[in-house]
Amino acid sequence: MSQPSKQFPEIKQLSFEHMTFRYDNSAPVFEDVSFDLPTDQYVWIRSLHTGAGRSTLLQIMAGLAPITAGKYSINDKNVGDMSFEEFLPYRLSIGYSFDFGGLLHNQSLYDNMMLPLLYHKLCTPVEAERKVKMYMQELGILRYKDQRPSAVQGSVRKIACLLRPLLMSPQLLLLDDPSLGLGQEVVLKYFDLIQDLRRDGLAKHVYISTFDEKLMGLLEHQEVFIDNGQLHATSDGYEKKVVSL
Amino acid sequence: MRGVWAQVDGVGRLVTTNVTYTTRLLLMIYVSIRATFFDQAQGLRTIFSVVSSQIYFTGWQAMPLITVLALASGGVVILQSSSNLNLLGGAQMIGNLLVVIVVRELGPLLTALVVVARSGTAVASEVGNMRANREIEALESMGINPLSYIVFPRMLGGVVSVICLATYFVLISLLGGFVITKLIHDIPFNFYVDSLSRAVAFEDIWLFLLKNAFSGMIIFVISCYQGLSVKKSPTEVPIVTTQAVVKSIIYVIVFNMSVTTLFYLHELVRIGVL
Repeated sequence: MSQPSKQFPEIKQLSFEHMTFRYDNSAPVFEDVSFDLPTDQYVWIRSLHTGAGRSTLLQIMAGLAPITAGKYSINDKNVGDMSFEEFLPYRLSIGYSFDFGGLLHNQSLYDNMMLPLLYHKLCTPVEAERKVKMYMQELGILRYKDQRPSAVQGSVRKIACLLRPLLMSPQLLLLDDPSLGLGQEVVLKYFDLIQDLRRDGLAKHVYISTFDEKLMGLLEHQEVFIDNGQLHATSDGYEKKVVSL
Repeated sequence: MRGVWAQVDGVGRLVTTNVTYTTRLLLMIYVSIRATFFDQAQGLRTIFSVVSSQIYFTGWQAMPLITVLALASGGVVILQSSSNLNLLGGAQMIGNLLVVIVVRELGPLLTALVVVARSGTAVASEVGNMRANREIEALESMGINPLSYIVFPRMLGGVVSVICLATYFVLISLLGGFVITKLIHDIPFNFYVDSLSRAVAFEDIWLFLLKNAFSGMIIFVISCYQGLSVKKSPTEVPIVTTQAVVKSIIYVIVFNMSVTTLFYLHELVRIGVL
């Protein structure tokens, strides 16, 4: 299996410095956050309630949502100062899975998966085909490969959306509600694939935003809480706050 | 007095808004070309496969409609020109009249309007829906610049398609129109072809290419720009599609009129009238 992320700079450190984020003119989702994100492990992004900013945090980390003020740094380099081309090597080392949507509707599921591999020439077309089919087979969606996203059920779309970032063999994996609408068997198989990547030295930093406590109970992880526009590590005692509710 | 100032203010706002909008369009053209050719790791092969699809949808699929329109307008123009010129005793001028009407004006304008109606709407709603369905975000997350993957191929495909369609329009209009006219009005074919070939000049060809290339560019840049302006909701899509159509038509007509005016001013200067 090819390991494209080895061509790209190694992601060692992720941090926020006085970071503020708001959508247009609404109230800030995050305000003046200074935080070093934990690395080299599974990290569970938690919040007390929905709409706290879990998905937004993942989008910021993926470089998809530019922050309003402050700094988001990867390896001490401010992402906000980088152009699309300068950020590209990092972006290709970041896998982001959407909670919903995110597949190109004018292409089949197979073409959706092949697109990043062929576009960036991350591997040969033959190797890309083998890899895509293997992953689709593994999670039981190979028979839908020629269907367009609108022609298949939501769970198949969700699986395709989860698999696509894995194909790029990322160093940093950001999963937004990965178990939403999926059976436990599929989810466990998916995390087996992540484990395979981790054994190869990839998917080193995996951030998961979910309310699925059962899933997270199966993974050795650290937790990051979002509360009132701030980030808190488990060690801050926020775990107690969640339990008390 | 206040009313006058309000009108001046209104005109000022209109001019500022349009200048800002036009600047943004020009910037988008520049950035999309730059992103396609100068960014590292951009897959040109994938991009050109999107260009060929765009040419198929915009160019090839519009041919039946262009054929009907060209036959009808060509037939009418030839019939009217020949009968009226005969009455005035200037039948040999038919070639000149057809070149002025069909090649310089009607071909580029009608083709552009057909492309706005068929493909401009399609592109604006497609890109708008892509925005609403988070497909644009997905492209960015894969390290694919939407400007090089979405905008540039549609722009290039649009330019190529409009030039080809307009050429096809002119050919069908002049030749097919002649055949239709022949059924009701006797014009010798040799006389007709000879008159046309004497009338076509080098300026007509570059004027034709200039008008069509820029019309194609204008239509597809505006459609992509409007599509990308969707924020989150699918309900924005029909609004931006309508805006794309209106703005495309206005920009195409203003551009064609400006080119025609400059061309005739140049001609007047050349023959010493101005």
